[in-house]
Amino acid sequence: MSALPRPKRADLPDMLDVGGRQSRRRRRRLKAMEAAVAVPVLLALLLLGALLFDVITDTLSWQVITPAGSGRSYAFAEGFAPFGSWERVMRHELAARGVPAADVESLLADPEERRVLEARNRVELMPWVNGRPFRWLVTTTSDELVADRPLWGGLRSRSELLAAAEPGQVVVLNAWLDPAFLLRNASRSPLVAGLLPAFVGSLMLVGLVILLAVPLGVGTAVYLEEYASDTRLARLIELNLSNLAGVPSVVYGILGLTVFVRLMRLGPVVLAGALTLTLLVVPVVVVAAREAIRSVPPSLRQAAYGLGATRSQVVLRVVLPNAIAGITTGVVLAIARTIGETAPLLVLGAAAFVPRPPDGLLSTFTAIPIQIYSWVSENDVEFTHVASAAILVLLAVLAVLYGIAYYLRRGFASR
Amino acid sequence: MTEADKIPDQTVRSSPVPAEEAAVVIEDLSLWYGDFRALYDVSLTVPRNQVTALIGASGCGKSTLLRSINRMNDLVDGVRVTGAVRYDGVELYGPDVDPVEVRRRIGMVFQKPNPFPKSIYENVAFGPRLTGFRGDMDALVERALREAALWDEVSSKLRESGLGLSGGQQQRLCIARALASDPSVILMDEPTSALDPIATDRIERLITDLKRDYTVLIVTHNMQQAGRVSDRTAFMHLGRLVEEGPTDLIFTNPRQELTERYVSGRFG
Amino acid sequence: MRLRAAARARERVFGGVLLALACLSVLTTVGVVAVLVFETTAFFSDPAVSLREFFTGRQWTPLFADQRFGILPLLTGTLMVTGIALIVGVPLGLMSAVYLSEFAAARRRRRVTSVLELLAGIPTVVLGYFALLFVTPLLQRFVPDLDLFNPLSAGLVMAFMILPTVSSISTDAMQAVPGALRQAAYGMGATKIQLIWRVVLPASLSGIVASVILAFSRAVGETMIVTLAAGQRPLFTLDPRETIATMTSFIVQAASGDQPAGSLAARSLYAVAATLFAITLVLNLVSQIVVRRFRERYE
Repeated sequence: MSALPRPKRADLPDMLDVGGRQSRRRRRRLKAMEAAVAVPVLLALLLLGALLFDVITDTLSWQVITPAGSGRSYAFAEGFAPFGSWERVMRHELAARGVPAADVESLLADPEERRVLEARNRVELMPWVNGRPFRWLVTTTSDELVADRPLWGGLRSRSELLAAAEPGQVVVLNAWLDPAFLLRNASRSPLVAGLLPAFVGSLMLVGLVILLAVPLGVGTAVYLEEYASDTRLARLIELNLSNLAGVPSVVYGILGLTVFVRLMRLGPVVLAGALTLTLLVVPVVVVAAREAIRSVPPSLRQAAYGLGATRSQVVLRVVLPNAIAGITTGVVLAIARTIGETAPLLVLGAAAFVPRPPDGLLSTFTAIPIQIYSWVSENDVEFTHVASAAILVLLAVLAVLYGIAYYLRRGFASR
Repeated sequence: MTEADKIPDQTVRSSPVPAEEAAVVIEDLSLWYGDFRALYDVSLTVPRNQVTALIGASGCGKSTLLRSINRMNDLVDGVRVTGAVRYDGVELYGPDVDPVEVRRRIGMVFQKPNPFPKSIYENVAFGPRLTGFRGDMDALVERALREAALWDEVSSKLRESGLGLSGGQQQRLCIARALASDPSVILMDEPTSALDPIATDRIERLITDLKRDYTVLIVTHNMQQAGRVSDRTAFMHLGRLVEEGPTDLIFTNPRQELTERYVSGRFG
Repeated sequence: MRLRAAARARERVFGGVLLALACLSVLTTVGVVAVLVFETTAFFSDPAVSLREFFTGRQWTPLFADQRFGILPLLTGTLMVTGIALIVGVPLGLMSAVYLSEFAAARRRRRVTSVLELLAGIPTVVLGYFALLFVTPLLQRFVPDLDLFNPLSAGLVMAFMILPTVSSISTDAMQAVPGALRQAAYGMGATKIQLIWRVVLPASLSGIVASVILAFSRAVGETMIVTLAAGQRPLFTLDPRETIATMTSFIVQAASGDQPAGSLAARSLYAVAATLFAITLVLNLVSQIVVRRFRERYE
């Protein structure tokens, strides 16, 4: 028996192409394609790197200042005291400004005088002052900025800057992100502006959102997973949730502005912001909580029912304790969202300038991203540095949160 | 005494295939999935223009053996192969052989019908398009569908989705799809296990027709099917080739006790 | 048996509370729709506004003395930024999806996925800062006449914001292509490249389309990048070098200004928000329908 004649196909030679050009070309093409499709991943990494690099270098700048104070700087050891550096450096500075020693003591002892002094004078540890490393310098609201050079440009021309500086001027490498920045109140002057009010505002928002969104989100998830059968209502809730997740956050801001700020007459206060953000993050919590609840093995539930547990007992004692890791992940992601969300708060009317941290649920507030936005829109080089310092703080907080979420999820997956 | 101990080391062969009739020659083929050894020194000669059936209990390695002929096992992570498979005088596991080239000449039909979510026409044209076929595609598609005995049923709806066909039709579409690539060998991995008896009968008659133009190697767990369609049968057990020979001999007069027990339905 | 009755009552209350919590999310939607419909109706019932002008007018100046309400400049602004974002972001997202689904080993896939999630987690105000202070100065070296605020750099940065969306949904769709189809293609001698182009991509097309639509919706609703980097000047143009305004950046501008509540300028905000809401809602619904189709296909 032999094969019948078959039509010859030009595209398919009879013999196997062993190690021939075809195979080699095929292998090359595959390699090329793999390299090509990996490009966006590299680009994304590059962008992340460029962003971090840009933010970090923006938090450092070379400045020539005409100080309103003495213009003297003090060695690190001269001014350092645990939690008391401000006072120690200020003593040196006041003496250098020619204030008699007795007056220095009375100034610092009088709470009102001290408050004014603290508001006007910021004690900063500068990485570089007039050629000497790590020195304390007192900057004030009346300092005059002569020049501001970016980190790299200034690094090359710092000796020229120093040579060109007139008597009385100081050339410094200013690190905008320093402890003073975190602990100071906001100010119209970039040199003394601090992040404290925004930081406290963000913390209060996060606390309130957790308090509100967790019961709401977890309750919804438990209802959908453990109670609802495939009814119209359950389907409506589900469809609604998936659509809510797609509503632009700025629209939530409009809802908050209209309902909480205006109709309920709360005004642009912490509570209104927290309520708005709660509505925004509930879908995030629901999705994570549902996934966690679904991964609790049915056998556990059946065992509990078998022992005569009621449905609520099963939920509270079996389902939720076993789903806690997944739910926590969802909550952490919701917190991350809360911290970074800008548009709804902006629309709500969160103030761009709040001098002090909010002192209650009904006080006006600002938050870190709002503060960043307002500093960036100042369109002033020094405010840009302040904004980048705030961004670095924001990114650091987020990094910690994502780290926790990643860790939780990994632990969750390995179970 | 375990089952493995009862397997003789040597494969028993009746009326071996003459070298000039060989389409595929397997020599001392062993295969490991990671630490698990799935094949033990299998040697088998597949004759041209005949149907060879691979039988054996599930897990005996018959599908693995089939898939190692067109190097489909390469797609599994951690596979290691020793020994040789020769086709047209070429050692398929040679260092310079591209598995893509191998699969274009040795076609495969799978256990479950797996047409692409495309039209019937595009399903059949898939293989020729892969090699950049520039001839008369309509004629090629028609020929493949006729060879797969599907033409009369689908000629009026070539542009409809292949997923709209019945299970048996889908499997014949998959056969037509394999035929359109002009392979000389077709591997079938339990092609009727997902089909009803009527569809199965249809495919079996088709297989018998196909051997006029192709060499067919079929894995089946159905003894009757092996008896009906194949010219030669190879019986495998726990990764070893126990016995092979003309189908009538294997079924009526096996020389190994293990083979006899299997073909008479006493295990498996 | 009093105890049993009390327990039953407790169960009913527990279930009722859960139901109430679940319904609150529906209330959110009702609230959004009610607010938008009410205020938008009030806006259009003002004699100074006409529906026809709103949809065809080429001037948008609600905050000026001479008020004009033609939303087209905001639409073209939005379209330009999202267009640039999609043109750049979708191919990049699809490429990374192909890489993750077809080339990367499981370990690397997990790592790259977390990097992309990190990218998705960067607050958009930070991306806006980056677009304004890094990308724009960089582009100004190559693109003459590029305004400080421009849709080009906003769109480019936004492309990286939507990349994770496109990538993760498309990766899922590609991974959902049944192994049997891959086997079939390989069994016929398809190369990996042919498998990707001829089987994986066509079979996951609906998932890919859904991811693109979702990314489109995200881009349309994105606020901070455009507010910071693209500007707040409603201009009817398709020149990506000029300062423009988008629907979202107008909303921010109008809401953070001091428009007295109930004034026409303040109400125009709701008309824009309603338009934005309608666009994103339609996009989300379409993408959900597409996704559902693609689930049914293999089941």
